[in-house]
Amino acid sequence: MAEISFPLPDLGEGLIEATVLEWLVSPGDQVERNQPLVEVETTKSAVELPSPQAGKVVRIHGGPGDKINVGEPLIVFEVPDNTAGIVGTVPKEEAPKRRVRLSAVLDED
Amino acid sequence: MSGRHTGEQHHHTVEGTDPQLYVEVHEPETDAGLRPVLLLHGFSSSTKLNWQDTGWLAALLEAGRRVITVDLPGHGRSGAPEDMDSYSPSRIRADLLQVAFDAGVRPLRDGDPASGVDVIGYSLGSRLAWEFGATQPELVHRLVLGGPNIADPLAAFDLVAAQRYLADGTPIADESTSGLLKMALGLPSNNVFALLSLVEAIKGEPFDPAEAVPHMPMLLVAGEKDDRAATMPELAELGAKTGALVEQLLIPGRNHSNVITSRAFKQAATEFLGV
Repeated sequence: MAEISFPLPDLGEGLIEATVLEWLVSPGDQVERNQPLVEVETTKSAVELPSPQAGKVVRIHGGPGDKINVGEPLIVFEVPDNTAGIVGTVPKEEAPKRRVRLSAVLDED
Repeated sequence: MSGRHTGEQHHHTVEGTDPQLYVEVHEPETDAGLRPVLLLHGFSSSTKLNWQDTGWLAALLEAGRRVITVDLPGHGRSGAPEDMDSYSPSRIRADLLQVAFDAGVRPLRDGDPASGVDVIGYSLGSRLAWEFGATQPELVHRLVLGGPNIADPLAAFDLVAAQRYLADGTPIADESTSGLLKMALGLPSNNVFALLSLVEAIKGEPFDPAEAVPHMPMLLVAGEKDDRAATMPELAELGAKTGALVEQLLIPGRNHSNVITSRAFKQAATEFLGV
């Protein structure tokens, strides 16, 4: 078995963090792809994040009221070894890149 | 997102100008055989923000419900007509009635669980749902009103101060006005001038829940920390006086902006409408 960590995804509108409202899954739960995982709130709105992955939840990060930055770990799944290589590399560097781009636009003003 | 859907701007002209409303009908994978659910979002929100990103649409489709969504004028993917009349609550209700019929909603018939329509509203959408239920008893089966309010915060909105602020940045003294405008400006997808037209139209037709009271069963839901929902028991009393079944639910720890994603809210609504 292998572990896959998913970070808090880019929530758009230049948002860089979100506050956990409520987890809908717990460590040990077997979840399906697209099953609701967690409710988070940004300064703009509250959203429910669906699971990007089927698997067993190993760890969740942050309790109700805790802030998580975009790109920081949100949840870790345990998946069979043969699927880990396919999806394990997907999310990593995207969010920080966007933040850099955002400040570049601000500099032009 | 599971389920097929078709989306289009609604071009059925009811009175005078084209309302340019963006309507979608979402079909569940497994139909529970119940009437469709019409979703009405709040001020400065949209179908996407109020119902899609929050998990409502997925939860209702999962429950086998056919869902009709519509963006209010000046919101989401709907157009922003220039005439003030397009934003008046009475005109919006007439357009919603047409939207419902065009989506296949048929009058309630005893013993036919697929007849009629259930309506879920949030905030301003709850005001519209209350009035829609009160005026369309032969069509509306049950109501779920989220973040409801006996008064209308938008009716007290200081339009002159808002316009000054937009023109030259003069600070807005009224806290509620300033908060609502900040919310409206916070989303790039909003057409602020259309939203101000809506406010002006609402000031012309402020919410008066006692004027027409729905007689069908209703569920009122609010966050425990939602100041605006403090009047929820008064609304419940108005409804109960007509003999309607009225249930109230307070969601612990939640406020007006974050109660919307609450699982407890979705579950209560799905169960209440699942009959």
